[in-house]
Amino acid sequence: MTVTPCIVGAAALPVGRYQAPRGAERQTLERELLAGVVLDAMADAGLDKSEIDAMVFGLERDYPRQRYFATFMANYLRLPAKATIAEVMGNGMTGGLAFDQAASEIMLGRARVALALGTNLETGIPTAEHLDNSMRHTGDVDFHTPFGFTPISWYAMDAMRYMHDTGATRAELASVAVKSRTFAAHNPLAQYRDPLTLEEVLAQRMIVEPLGLFEVPGRADGAVCIVLASEEAARALGRPYLKLRGRGFFHEGAHQINEVPNDMTAYVAAEAAGKSAYEDAGIVPGDLDFAEIYAPCTITEVLASEAFGLVPRGQGAAAATAGETGLGGRIPVSPSGGCLSRGHPPWVTGLYSIVEAAEQLRGRAGGRQIAGASLGMVAAELGNYNAALVHILEAAA
Amino acid sequence: MTLTTIRRDGPRPYPPRVSEFSETFWNALAKGRLMATRGRASRRPSFPPKPFCPFTWEREIEWCELSGRGTLYSHTVVHAAPQAFAHMAPYRVCIVDLEEGLRVAGALVCDRDPQIDAPVEAVVLMHDDGPLLGFQQA
Repeated sequence: MTVTPCIVGAAALPVGRYQAPRGAERQTLERELLAGVVLDAMADAGLDKSEIDAMVFGLERDYPRQRYFATFMANYLRLPAKATIAEVMGNGMTGGLAFDQAASEIMLGRARVALALGTNLETGIPTAEHLDNSMRHTGDVDFHTPFGFTPISWYAMDAMRYMHDTGATRAELASVAVKSRTFAAHNPLAQYRDPLTLEEVLAQRMIVEPLGLFEVPGRADGAVCIVLASEEAARALGRPYLKLRGRGFFHEGAHQINEVPNDMTAYVAAEAAGKSAYEDAGIVPGDLDFAEIYAPCTITEVLASEAFGLVPRGQGAAAATAGETGLGGRIPVSPSGGCLSRGHPPWVTGLYSIVEAAEQLRGRAGGRQIAGASLGMVAAELGNYNAALVHILEAAA
Repeated sequence: MTLTTIRRDGPRPYPPRVSEFSETFWNALAKGRLMATRGRASRRPSFPPKPFCPFTWEREIEWCELSGRGTLYSHTVVHAAPQAFAHMAPYRVCIVDLEEGLRVAGALVCDRDPQIDAPVEAVVLMHDDGPLLGFQQA
């Protein structure tokens, strides 16, 4: 007998740059940022701190000074916990995993109320120095990193291959950045909200070809807290909440590139995880009102949308250009503004995606609200989509 | 088959680690030979080389030489580089499908526009402190 996990509260800092440079007289403390967000999320839920049985943190970046951050925060918040306190890590999937683990605590009946939370603080570190660290996260440090691959260089190679295979143009890919900005203009949590034209996107300097500055995520910090509860506890609160209706995961057993040549742009893990989540929820992709996807670059959103069955294979870029995935489109993708405009603090991006689902499914998304949204999908990924974690969330009251 | 060696000034920006096992690969590469491993029973080549067969988990492996010939699966030019590579930027990297049915990544050496699916061949980029694997258009 398992319990249905629900989302009853959520809060986040607007994505932005909070971390002070090393040596600056005034530092930004991760503990203070996150505690504020926890209090906001609990106020949103309308629950008392004594109800919390579990806290699952996404692992923080290497840069903040305090380590063993989960147990540190349990002390800082004076929060005993009977189910679990943990920090989890899954590269870009980290935020999604924190949510997944917290949901499991509820599902197993160990916790009645659980928090999924975390910070990503990195902008105090200059980009080239940060890349010396993050280049060790993708590929093979002995057989790939020595050539100078960066995390997004793999997505750039996806883009080169995709354009070659499908005939999609760079402008079609770049239209994803414009679409994202249109959503973000209405999102108070978004890092970039000013209007953006396709010409501006195409005019930016190259970061990794064919992706220019506005087609890759900016550096960002963030802090998020999601409050989960058993359905019985959620119902007792007497206000709108979200039910976790389905879940899917897949890792393809390959890291970055598969030594056995395959179609790298097919994102097989996303396809498998998506199918498994749809099956678990008893739905088909066409039932979804929106999808909030972990997609750091324009190309990633295109390929993930295809793999999740939201748009036909090979036509993702054209669909984005045609407005199918935009505000008012057939299947809005990343209505928060996504990694490109809402912003991308990587290790909590998966949690920001849950925040957006909570806003949409409780009808609180303002100018970017998808009318009548009742079923949404949230996905987190690892590396070049070698793994994907998918949750299907449903509005309830 | 001996690979073309291209001399590169200076040390490798981020040298690979060498183990007692992987030394065989790096020593061979320095001499212009590209090596993989394969299970004695499975006969299935694997790259990067491993002290076991990842397909069958058998521990009995043997080294096998690859031709270095393949096709360009994808490529890019990195402009925003890590600090360790900043002095080289912009630089090319690529993914290659070798004729033995292995997908590998490396540096891409070329002075004209690379063509996806075009034939490429492995080269040795010989730095002051050791070799790296590269590819050039065949």
